[in-house]
Amino acid sequence: MRAGTIYLLIALVLLGLSLLKEKQRTKEAIRATFKIFYVVMPVLIFVFVLMGLIQAYVSGETITSILGQKSGILGILYAETVGCIALFMPPAVFPFGGYLHDNGASYGSIAGFVFTAILIGITTLPVEIKFLGKRFTIARNIFTFVLAFLIALLMEVILR
Amino acid sequence: MKKLLKNDVFQFLSLSVIITLFIYGLNGEKGAIVAKTVYNTFIEVLDIVVAVSIFIGLFQVWVKPSTIVKWLGKGSGLKGFILVCTFPILMGGSLFTVFPLMKTLREKGARQGAIASFITAWGGKAPLLPLETKFLGWPFALVRLGFVIIFAFIMGLLMDWIGERPTKPM
Repeated sequence: MRAGTIYLLIALVLLGLSLLKEKQRTKEAIRATFKIFYVVMPVLIFVFVLMGLIQAYVSGETITSILGQKSGILGILYAETVGCIALFMPPAVFPFGGYLHDNGASYGSIAGFVFTAILIGITTLPVEIKFLGKRFTIARNIFTFVLAFLIALLMEVILR
Repeated sequence: MKKLLKNDVFQFLSLSVIITLFIYGLNGEKGAIVAKTVYNTFIEVLDIVVAVSIFIGLFQVWVKPSTIVKWLGKGSGLKGFILVCTFPILMGGSLFTVFPLMKTLREKGARQGAIASFITAWGGKAPLLPLETKFLGWPFALVRLGFVIIFAFIMGLLMDWIGERPTKPM
């Protein structure tokens, strides 16, 4: 059976359990599910278009030379920078990362990209400052970038 | 019409169509590659995205943000710290939804280290595991999740180490 089918079955079973426990909340959950799907899917489709563009115009060798194992430390730094700037929603990070990996990017680069894409966002900076203060925001983002780099290096060594 | 143009969903979808058509107009072969990539990936992930949406939807309803804040308390003490470095891995949402929640946690007296740990652990994104394993495989996903906990832990220590200065949030 396809992995997706199994996840879908598990999700439906959980939904059933939720329904048995409380009807009203389950209704809310279904409404939330539709909303999440409605917001996430268009972003995913847009990212698929980006993947298609890379597929059409960028060769695997180019990706390998920028983000591959041989590019090492620099590759991770490039990937992290892209992650910081990219306006990806978390669900779009993994298909894109997987796509880059299939085309020659190293696990370390992908890890760096995934971490910064989820945890750092140029667009979210003002929001973070507003809610948590300037000092906190600057420190957290710098530490995140540095720690993500070290972990990405370790993951590269472990997974290669 | 104005409202429609400002709608994110509409923007992403129309931009996707426009780009694909534009490339197709420039070069039929390249356009076909783009369209094929979009179609194939879409078919591959559709059921996973539906499943993930259900997981996150259920979690949101059964574990309300106010419950989380109450449950985590100040994130102080070893137990609180461990919770703050692990529990948020289970949550969905984007950074935009996390920051307001963190402000509440802060106002309840959580240290800035605990807040930073929470945000980092939230980056674990366990609800997205079906997507992550599909595209990057189980070894990558599990190693990454393991590191997320360590990441969150060190993050908290570092943020506490630099100390708090009573600068008011703007």
